[in-house]
Amino acid sequence: MDKKKAVRDYHRNLAVTAGIILLIFIAIPIFVKSPYILNVFVLVFYMSTLSMAWNLLGGMTGQNSLGHAAYMGLGAYASCLLVVRTGINPWLSAVAGMVAVAVVAGVIFYPCFILRGPYFTLVSIAFGEAIRQFIINSEFFGRASGVGLPYGKDSWIDFRFGSKVPYYYVGLAMMILIYAFMKKIERSKIGYALKTIREDEDAAAAIGINPIKYKIMAVVISAMVAALVGFFYASYIRYIDPELMIQAKSTEAVLPAIVGGAAFVEGPIIGGLIMIPLSEFLRATYSAILPGINMLMYAVVLLVVIRFRPAGILGWYMNSRAKQFVDERILKKPSVEVIEEVEMAGGR
Amino acid sequence: MLKVSGLNAGYGSVNILWDLEFEVKDGEIVAILGSNGAGKTTMVRAVTGMLKPSSGSVQFNGDELSGKNTRYILDAGIVQVPEGRQLFTEMTVLENLEMGAFNRKTKEHFRDNLKKAYGWFPRLEERAKQAAGTLSGGEQQMVAVARALIGEPRLLILDEPSLGLAPNIVDDILKVASDMADHDGISVLLVEQDITKALACADGGYVIENGKIVLHGTAKELSENEHVKKAYLGI
Repeated sequence: MDKKKAVRDYHRNLAVTAGIILLIFIAIPIFVKSPYILNVFVLVFYMSTLSMAWNLLGGMTGQNSLGHAAYMGLGAYASCLLVVRTGINPWLSAVAGMVAVAVVAGVIFYPCFILRGPYFTLVSIAFGEAIRQFIINSEFFGRASGVGLPYGKDSWIDFRFGSKVPYYYVGLAMMILIYAFMKKIERSKIGYALKTIREDEDAAAAIGINPIKYKIMAVVISAMVAALVGFFYASYIRYIDPELMIQAKSTEAVLPAIVGGAAFVEGPIIGGLIMIPLSEFLRATYSAILPGINMLMYAVVLLVVIRFRPAGILGWYMNSRAKQFVDERILKKPSVEVIEEVEMAGGR
Repeated sequence: MLKVSGLNAGYGSVNILWDLEFEVKDGEIVAILGSNGAGKTTMVRAVTGMLKPSSGSVQFNGDELSGKNTRYILDAGIVQVPEGRQLFTEMTVLENLEMGAFNRKTKEHFRDNLKKAYGWFPRLEERAKQAAGTLSGGEQQMVAVARALIGEPRLLILDEPSLGLAPNIVDDILKVASDMADHDGISVLLVEQDITKALACADGGYVIENGKIVLHGTAKELSENEHVKKAYLGI
């Protein structure tokens, strides 16, 4: 009975901790009025979401994509053009953009998943660049000058605001929803199939998992989430151009996951919360004094993480004293044996 | 039970298997013997659908399997323990075993099958929470065999279970294979280059050289055969 209570308390403590963190994020715009700081948070939200999309492929499935800026850009273009040309509701255009990007990604990447090895990574780089060049040279896509979304009165229906606060909340909601979705995938049959493919494709095939099918599934889901981020970005900035898809942007999508810990669904969020404010701070503080120094310092931080904590911040945390302390003192986590015993006995 | 006839298979334009014919009956252990590069693993891949045969038939209990995908063949009851074990090394032992029940039908019996697998290999129960990659070679082979058992095989294909293992561990694994054939009526297709060990537990066997079957007979016949003695046993 005591054991049961201990496990129940632990789960309650977990929920309370998550609730407190969520409340802090909800409360931030009430106390923070600076649009600059809010902008950094919005950046964190959508870059972490993009990185979660990358992580489904790179972290969970072991397929390193360097073309996520292209999916994001394509999603942004698809929804912007629909809004500008046909005047449909932006929220509907987001769905249309996600479907369009899913189809394109599925068709492009099917052939390179039949091959093994680094082909996927190579094609993802080429894909991004090809799409960008195509857009620069296409009248329909507005060439290099890009596409602007109409300005106007604040409106939820048109997802258009002068203030940053609504974007903050929508961005936060998007990040949390995608996190819940990725967590669901990780614990599902698909998640396990993807992990077996990462570990050993032959062995996965031997136990009846079709690696091509699941890799396509992963790339399609990942591209759809990136397209959603693209829609959010376009609605926030209200202007998009082909620069959105340059190679460096795809790399930026990878960094939060690597720094936070690509083996964890939470990794991109932790990494995003650290790296993006850091990058913005360095840019704001130093780029006027010595242009480029911010990029240099950013690179140094990245190198230090990769050299000393290759499993990312969460990878380090999972085996650290800090986790021990948090588990014992704050969450009052019972031992693994106790949790298992209670769960085996039929729930809490 | 399993009847393979006129099986041809290869990679691209290179043909590896030439008109393979062999048969495994219910509850029988049949050895496929041959040295490195003889085509043994290609044969396993062709039978399990990981490689599409270019021609020929693979009949399993009257069902034609040639050209079907791995998933279908697994559901029909042919489960393999792939060469070199191929575990998911970063997953725990238990997770590896769970992956053996990935296809729908066997999921309902997972608890019972897990108990059975732990019965065969008690050591795995102690190590259930450990990452599979941290186990010894012999234990890893046990996980691989147990993972296949969880998939409820009617025909178990063991692809070179002796690879890189100590002789006494190979004996343990082969003992389990013959126990399964005796008690549960599971047929075993044992693919091996260690001919002495294979013939010691098999009922019959086929010798494969350069992708062709050159000899077949009972275990006794094969171990007394002059060609086998000379080419494989060094007597």
